[in-house]
Amino acid sequence: MAITRRQFIKRTGAAAAGTLLGPSLFNNPFLQKALADTIGDRYFVVVYLDGGNDGVNTVTPVDNGSGNLRTAYDAARMSLNLSPTDLQNTHIGTDPNTGAQLALHPGLIGLKSLYDLGKVAIIQGCGYPAYSLSHDQSRTVWQTADPLSVGTNGGWVGRYLAANYGGTDIPGVNVSDRIVGEFKTTATSVLTIGQLADFGFPYDPFGGGSDDNAKRTAFNALCNAASGDAQPVIKYIGESGAATLLASESYPALDSLYNADRSSWSNQYDAIGRSTARDLREVAKVIYGVAHVPPANNVHARVFQVSNGGYDMHSDQGAANTDGQHYSLHREIGDSLELFYQDCADMGVADKLCIVIWSEFSRRIQQNDSGTDHGSQAPMFVIGGTIQGGPTGGANGGVYGNHPNIDDAALNPDDGNTIYKQGSLVTNPFRSTDFRDVYGTLLKHWLGMTNPSGLVPTDTVPGGGDPDDYWTAANFDLGFLP
Amino acid sequence: MGDQNTVFVANQDEGLVRHLLRRTGFGAKPEDVTKIIGMTRGEAADMLLGFKGKEFKPGGRYIEDAHNKWVKYMIKTNLAVQAKLVLYWHHHFATSNAKVQNTKVMALQIRLLHAMCNGNFKDFVKAMNRNAAVMEFLDTVRNHKDIPNENYARELQELFTVGVKDFAGNPNYTQEDIVQIARAFTGWDYIYNSGESVFHDYDHDYMADFPERGPKTIYKSTGGFGSGGMTYAAGAADEGPQEIDAVIDIIFQHKDSDGKSTVARRVARKLVEYYAHPIATPISAADAAVIDQIIADSDFDTNWSISGLVRAIVVNDTFYDTAAVPPFSASTQKSVTWPIDYVVSTLRLLRMKLKGKYQYVSGGDYQNVRDQLTNMGQTLLEPPSVFGWDWESAWLSSATLLARYDFARDVTSARDGGSSSFRPETFFDLTLNQPDDIVNAVTDILGVTDQLTAVERNALVDYLTDNGANPTLDLNDNDTRNRKLHGLFALVLQSPAYQLH
Repeated sequence: MAITRRQFIKRTGAAAAGTLLGPSLFNNPFLQKALADTIGDRYFVVVYLDGGNDGVNTVTPVDNGSGNLRTAYDAARMSLNLSPTDLQNTHIGTDPNTGAQLALHPGLIGLKSLYDLGKVAIIQGCGYPAYSLSHDQSRTVWQTADPLSVGTNGGWVGRYLAANYGGTDIPGVNVSDRIVGEFKTTATSVLTIGQLADFGFPYDPFGGGSDDNAKRTAFNALCNAASGDAQPVIKYIGESGAATLLASESYPALDSLYNADRSSWSNQYDAIGRSTARDLREVAKVIYGVAHVPPANNVHARVFQVSNGGYDMHSDQGAANTDGQHYSLHREIGDSLELFYQDCADMGVADKLCIVIWSEFSRRIQQNDSGTDHGSQAPMFVIGGTIQGGPTGGANGGVYGNHPNIDDAALNPDDGNTIYKQGSLVTNPFRSTDFRDVYGTLLKHWLGMTNPSGLVPTDTVPGGGDPDDYWTAANFDLGFLP
Repeated sequence: MGDQNTVFVANQDEGLVRHLLRRTGFGAKPEDVTKIIGMTRGEAADMLLGFKGKEFKPGGRYIEDAHNKWVKYMIKTNLAVQAKLVLYWHHHFATSNAKVQNTKVMALQIRLLHAMCNGNFKDFVKAMNRNAAVMEFLDTVRNHKDIPNENYARELQELFTVGVKDFAGNPNYTQEDIVQIARAFTGWDYIYNSGESVFHDYDHDYMADFPERGPKTIYKSTGGFGSGGMTYAAGAADEGPQEIDAVIDIIFQHKDSDGKSTVARRVARKLVEYYAHPIATPISAADAAVIDQIIADSDFDTNWSISGLVRAIVVNDTFYDTAAVPPFSASTQKSVTWPIDYVVSTLRLLRMKLKGKYQYVSGGDYQNVRDQLTNMGQTLLEPPSVFGWDWESAWLSSATLLARYDFARDVTSARDGGSSSFRPETFFDLTLNQPDDIVNAVTDILGVTDQLTAVERNALVDYLTDNGANPTLDLNDNDTRNRKLHGLFALVLQSPAYQLH
């Protein structure tokens, strides 16, 4: 349940979770404003493409427009380029900067179907200043929304949850074996689940359950004792254990409820047969349980995360070939999201649904022999029933943000990230959109925060830095959400 | 405050000795504790670390076979100290069969980890340069002279040696360094079946092909080498397979912005985090001083002796921080056990083994151990990324906690009577009938007696007595023993205290 500001302040649990991860969160003046803002009767799903998804082979220029995007693309992608023929069935809008026709990778036909329905917005060139080409560093930057390490703690979604929910609420579910980085801060508010069906608490079958109550009482007492400990790790384990016990008594029923009512939908996820489909089905089960009238349970989750790995394609990436690695992953994501959206639409919650897709970086514009090394900015996608997306969304057919300038000659050598190519040094393109503007727009226009600034702090320009490179003026109204 | 000459005193320091055994091996058995009481920290460290290692190789046709043989080996080995060190290196040099797709070269890598785990770290890295599984996983085999693949050059620095940033937060290398190091690693491949590395000079970055490339120079802006950097191949005469060793020699001379050995500081820090406790980033001056002291005590920055470094860690006071007993304060250091440690230690302490080729626990859900470990977040031979695993609190979420609770239930309900069942009657004094004594005996076996608060002990006593309804217990009674003694073991294995080490 969403709780009030007063309840939140009273929650010693939440305050101590802050201690574990650093004290500054609860001193943040911006949070005080945020406390009353909530997602309401809506759902938010974060999808992470782990490893660095190749942006230019996800949103690809079909022609040059008024610039030379296509020419530069063909020059850099000698064997990995997607031809205009490969892209003929997946056209989307145009690049706001050059007017070039853009298209999705042919593997993303599922996403293209949603685009045609007006449900997909594409935000090009999302990145941050002084970008890192390390998976770990860049992922952390995206998760914390803090490129310059100015001192936020936990993840950007976690800070939002901490501001709005207390320790015994479970507003967030990660379909994962770990609490993902962007959800960190509110440890016990985020449940991690592999499969709902397996989420029951394990009792010894000896004695036909006659000792279960005694065990439950003792286990809960151990967790509660630890929850009150001053030592933050012990406290965290106690709180997590107690929350897990409680959730284990309500979440498994969501699996049977969904399977009983929606077996034909469930079968379609099986037909895709990929982990993203299975993981999104677990989210669908929870949403169905939450949206169910009359309430079938005591479940109130609103914010979810799934991820898919395998995008770190230094080799054997494949272009448009259907047995290629990149095609396969795009099919998995596109088909799974299309089905998940349609499932939610059939439940009647499409207009209450918003999905955002991100990756820690894109790939180098210049390919290596059969793959691509780490690059800078990347496109993001936002999907949902009320998105200003698709052919009639915004001025450019659902496309926001400029395509990165991928012409070697135009790149800014000051960025310092160079690659060695046949005797010369080549740079990575600069971002066109700060990813924090996307987060801010989501927080303001979907998650109900009137002022998200405290959760996505703007950069300060370090001494001697080029002010143009930094993000000092936030734009939390990018336009892809009303 | 203590040092290598500090003696473990009887009836006083048993908790510290248990801690030493638990952190360097898998759980502490009472007979091993007795052996060490009376020794100094240094003597105990020498005894534990002076092992003559075994070059264990987990064979088998499929990766599941290799995984299970490795787990089985850890459960029964008397070289737990070596096995524990190998686990660290499996994280440090994280390599996943999900990409390598070659069980044989994965097994060969695990054998190499056993062979080199306590030797010279510089030689270790040089060996990893040529290790087939690493070359496959980090794309050395796809690093060609026409278009270099940067993956290995990046991870060699970021993960194997210096790290991205130094203690002061300054970068240790630039993108140009990655590019220049990638050139050294062109031309390498391995033979699929034997895993033997081979160098093809026709695919190496020779000046003859691309004369404009010029000499190979690294660290012009970091490493303390001055603006000229370090040139490892000035001309054709220096080029060839020896370049990858020359690069390592330079990396090991790299100094951070404090003028200290960058490699020594990073590896010492990682091993302190592995054996002792997490260290916050940015590192505090106090923690940095401890790391520097450990390096000074071991001369790790010149001799690169891993066993010397670990010895310096386990005789240092910092190693004993997490052995603190309640009441704890907000600043008390604690550390979360790895899933593999949780599983192996539990089975060793309960004198159990896993069953059959699939190595399953014969109670509960009869899940094989690989699936159990996967659910806990740690599949050996398949680390989730080049960074290995996330440690500490990242091990614990509802899904992974539930997997630990499942394992605890499975273990304590293994009653099929065979050699892999849980049979406390074979090692537990069934004449104990006072709940306090029974709780003590169980927590002694599992090594957490001194970690429980009075409230937690009371919860366990209340469980045994059903809140006082049965003030004494007859453990010789089958029903009582199966219900309450098995149940008590399960609860302690599921307790917050047992997730820590």
